[in-house]
Amino acid sequence: MKALHDHAQSREEMAPEPSADAPVSLPPIRVRTGAGEVAGFLRETGGARNGDFVPLTFPFRWLALPAIRGLILQLIGGDGFLPVHEAQSFAYERELRVEADYVLSVEARRTAKPPRLTLKIAVSTGQGEICAQLETVLRIVPLNLEPAS
Amino acid sequence: MEPAPPDWPRAGDEIRARSFGPFAREALARYAAVSGDDNPLHLDPNAARAAGLAGPPVHGMLMLSCFEPLIMGWRRDLFIARLSGKFLRPVLTGEGIRVSGRVMRRRDVPRPELTLRLIARAQNNDLAILGEATVLYKIPRPL
Repeated sequence: MKALHDHAQSREEMAPEPSADAPVSLPPIRVRTGAGEVAGFLRETGGARNGDFVPLTFPFRWLALPAIRGLILQLIGGDGFLPVHEAQSFAYERELRVEADYVLSVEARRTAKPPRLTLKIAVSTGQGEICAQLETVLRIVPLNLEPAS
Repeated sequence: MEPAPPDWPRAGDEIRARSFGPFAREALARYAAVSGDDNPLHLDPNAARAAGLAGPPVHGMLMLSCFEPLIMGWRRDLFIARLSGKFLRPVLTGEGIRVSGRVMRRRDVPRPELTLRLIARAQNNDLAILGEATVLYKIPRPL
């Protein structure tokens, strides 16, 4: 079970050098907590309550939006590397509502040693009130693409 | 400001452990679909092997998500203001986890608040996630 960690640690120097450790920001992204998406997420995450609330970890799915995914792929350094989730946090000022519109502010920072990508996302109402903030820490793991012997 | 209810937990109180999973390959594919996390590490045995694992690991976020039903199944009069977790050991496809919690700190002012230590263990008792939550008292919604 320790293999991933030891493997990654020993090969950290192989991760690509970033161009800079300066944070990169995206333009604001509009999102919506669609009832169907919320219900599907609840169904697969052991949610026992009824479906009129947004699960706490639901905003994580917005990392898959094309703009954010593209930024992640760009910063991790190409096909020879995989992001491995190392830590995650959510901080809520208020619960998100189902079928509501929000705006995401996204900032990413790539560090070289250790090779990690940290994303900070703020979820705000259209009026600019922050509802939640999440932080995602990804370790960048070089893949061993040689065929297994 | 609502005062703490008479049965408000104390430091040291335990949250009864709950089991989730086992997480079969199909469950990971469904989670990938609803979460958008289709990282091949979790879905493709070859990608997992290339990353040094014996098989695809369960999504860390799928396991972290289990803390919300754990906490809200314990008490309904809570607002989870903060949840964080470190993913320490991978849990492989086909395995389940056991999640539990303990009250580490209680504050009554300026409003009732608890700090919870959260743990997810793999079937072999490895510590998979070490987490923490801050929960605030709120009047529960009607069922």
